[in-house]
Amino acid sequence: MIFVKRIYEWIEVRLGVKELVAKELTGYLLPRNINFWYSMGSIILFIFAVQVVTGMLLLVYYVPDADKAFSSVTAIMNRVPFGWLIRTCHAIGSSMMVLFLLLHMLSVMFMGSYKRPRELNWLSGFILFTLVQVICLTGYLLPWSQLSFWATTVATNSIGAIPLVGQFIVEFLRGGKLVGPPTLGRFFTLHVAVIPVLIASVVGVHLFFLERIGVSTPPFGLDNTKNRWRGDAFRYDEHTGGIPFFPNYILQDMTSIAIYFTLFAAVVFFCPGIFFPNDAFIQANPFQTPAHIKPEWYFLANYQTLKLFPNEFIGLSIQGAAMTFLALLPFIDWGNEKHPLKRPLFMVCAIGGILLYIGLSIWGHYS
Amino acid sequence: MDQSTRRKFLATCLGAIAAAGGGATLYPVYKYLAPGKGDEGLAKASFPESEIPAGGAKFFNFRGETGVVIRNKNGELVAFSAVCTHLGCIVQWEKEKQDFLCPCHAGRYTMDGMVIAGPPPRPLAKLTVNVANGTVTIG
Repeated sequence: MIFVKRIYEWIEVRLGVKELVAKELTGYLLPRNINFWYSMGSIILFIFAVQVVTGMLLLVYYVPDADKAFSSVTAIMNRVPFGWLIRTCHAIGSSMMVLFLLLHMLSVMFMGSYKRPRELNWLSGFILFTLVQVICLTGYLLPWSQLSFWATTVATNSIGAIPLVGQFIVEFLRGGKLVGPPTLGRFFTLHVAVIPVLIASVVGVHLFFLERIGVSTPPFGLDNTKNRWRGDAFRYDEHTGGIPFFPNYILQDMTSIAIYFTLFAAVVFFCPGIFFPNDAFIQANPFQTPAHIKPEWYFLANYQTLKLFPNEFIGLSIQGAAMTFLALLPFIDWGNEKHPLKRPLFMVCAIGGILLYIGLSIWGHYS
Repeated sequence: MDQSTRRKFLATCLGAIAAAGGGATLYPVYKYLAPGKGDEGLAKASFPESEIPAGGAKFFNFRGETGVVIRNKNGELVAFSAVCTHLGCIVQWEKEKQDFLCPCHAGRYTMDGMVIAGPPPRPLAKLTVNVANGTVTIG
């Protein structure tokens, strides 16, 4: 113990750990009415960490070559000890990441936490959401199954509807006219190198904004639910008399992560095939399109929208408009009120949007 | 219960749960990364005798390592592990000199696997050779 104490003192005089802990942990105060939904970010960080670790482990046996990719994934699933566990965790983790990002976004929306001065938090979060969707899409191709091959064909093809540059972008992304071995090389690089670095960087920026501006106050359990921001000068959003992040809220974070992990483990061990349709177990055949090829659940609404509109460009424009609206939400919703029940227009739009998304997804699934 | 005893008990329980969780996570990861038995190759290596060139050597995979078989002065087949006993490079057969040379640090062995020059501390490990119906079986 004396040795550990000496090491601590050695570091303390150099880095001022006590002061850092007081400022960032025990002295980092949060609003007293903070709730469970504020731990969504920690859950997502945990999922991201698990994805990075399982992804690195998969790289040990995965071969990014069109002739060997499928057999290497099959070997991971069937021959490598616990390979099935690592791969299933990675595949299910990707869906969980999207699901919890959606929940995080919804909680921020309903509690009005995106309102000024936190527009940049929202924007960086929205960029993260988009990047996670891209990393999921690029990772989907890597097993080189019929499902991956044709889902990627459909997903990349829809970009071709963009006037003038669409076809160029599609061919650039694919590395050729059709999805093929060059696409695998490109998507592999994007999936394991480019996008993870981008995500890690934007997570850093997102946390910096959170740290610099301060945690928002939830609108529940308060008499005054109006936005406190005055807008005349930069002020850190202090919560005098609030609860400390450590140990109080970190305990909530740990509890939320434990609940998430239970849900995750239940899916991994009791219904591991939930995200794997039959076509995921057949090697890609560029000459045979399987019937009823469907994207992952989070792209089903986009898929159905594209099906609804005979003109692909219109379908794509509607999706682009919806995404732009969502990205610019803090600049569109200028009201000071944060409580969802005191924002009827917002509630109608939000609940309508959610129902539309769920409805289109179910329709897409059964169509 | 005394406050410090309770705290100690809870900390011990938490530590035990964390250790069990850590173990349950690390064990699959270790098993996943550990080299499999399939990587060590077959217990025996077989090939036609005709693959051994006159005066030359035939290299082969044997139990995850490299082996070499040559024909000695008496015309008998002899096999060795081709792994140099110095630092593990693969020895090369020198047809003209009829000896083994390790190119890494110039270790030299006779055709019987004995060290004649350089840093190798031990002779090359000998392997069992059987010939039946024109097929050579090692191991």
